[in-house]
Amino acid sequence: MSGDSFPLNLPLPRFATDGREATTLFRELHNPLLRYLAGLGLPAEEAQDVVQDAFLSLHKHLTGGGSQQNIRSWLFRVAHNRARNFQQSYARRFGEPLDPVFDAASPDVTPEQAMLAKEKFHRLDQAIRSLAVQERECLMLRAEGLRYREIGEVLGIPKSTVSDTLERAIRKLAERCNV
Amino acid sequence: MCDVSGRLVAWMDGELPENEAAVIEQHVRACSECRDRVVRYEEVSHQFASYYKAAAAMRTRKLPRWVPVVGAAAAAAVLLLALLPRSLKPVPAVRQVAVAPPPVAVRTAATPLKPAANHQVAAHRRAPRANWAMAQPAIQIAIPAEAMFPPGAVPEGVHYIANLSLAADGSVQGLRLQP
Repeated sequence: MSGDSFPLNLPLPRFATDGREATTLFRELHNPLLRYLAGLGLPAEEAQDVVQDAFLSLHKHLTGGGSQQNIRSWLFRVAHNRARNFQQSYARRFGEPLDPVFDAASPDVTPEQAMLAKEKFHRLDQAIRSLAVQERECLMLRAEGLRYREIGEVLGIPKSTVSDTLERAIRKLAERCNV
Repeated sequence: MCDVSGRLVAWMDGELPENEAAVIEQHVRACSECRDRVVRYEEVSHQFASYYKAAAAMRTRKLPRWVPVVGAAAAAAVLLLALLPRSLKPVPAVRQVAVAPPPVAVRTAATPLKPAANHQVAAHRRAPRANWAMAQPAIQIAIPAEAMFPPGAVPEGVHYIANLSLAADGSVQGLRLQP
């Protein structure tokens, strides 16, 4: 996990004038934002729209004199809230957990190993599906390297709740996956 | 269960104040049960991160690939010319100037798009909304980026292809930007 000194604490007053910092921000956070939105269950095309919208909102925010602090959590929060707006039209898909992923096509994997890996994956998949939405969201943001303070800002919950939620989620996964 | 067990994940993530972290560390050194928990929590954290990133990558891979171009305006002009039926006169490419020129709009006959050459077919297949594009009257509009966004909104070095979906009555149904 990265430290609180997020590398994108840039001299953002230049954001609107020469675009160099904006490009860095875009390159650093475009894929993590897309990944998070895909993890939430947003279809890929809508996820692209939400990310682009979030960056345009950031531009407006900064050029309008908005705070230059905590840009990463600001972007994730905007994307998260925009994604929530899609929940109405994608209510069924949004509630779905992550797609199962398993690649047994590797030539180095024996059929027995592939079967064991598949079973292990299936257990993990089921365990993740059984988590509460907020538990999954906290886990995904943690996997993206966000600090608890940032996760709290994205989800609108206290840092202590983030800590409790993550502890509970990881304990559940460990128990249900027999890890 | 030990008193510290509710803070193990926060301790692993370096989210506790120094004095509290020291207490947990001391306890974990002495308690084999909590040491075991830490190992299991780290393992399940790793498994979740792999699952999340692989699943999100699988979803985002569903996006069609887009070829980077010199600029949004040039891309829109190229796309416009490539998709025009041969019977129509080609539209002059949009100039890239400091002052945004007015949008260039072309309305074709109400026939499905049928690109003539192989490379045009391939390019057309990359369009994310090929279904609606082929089912509706073909309307393409080339708009320079300067006319769509405020100065500086599109970061330097980042370019988009804009796909505009129009209804039969000419109203805009949707705008999609692809980096």
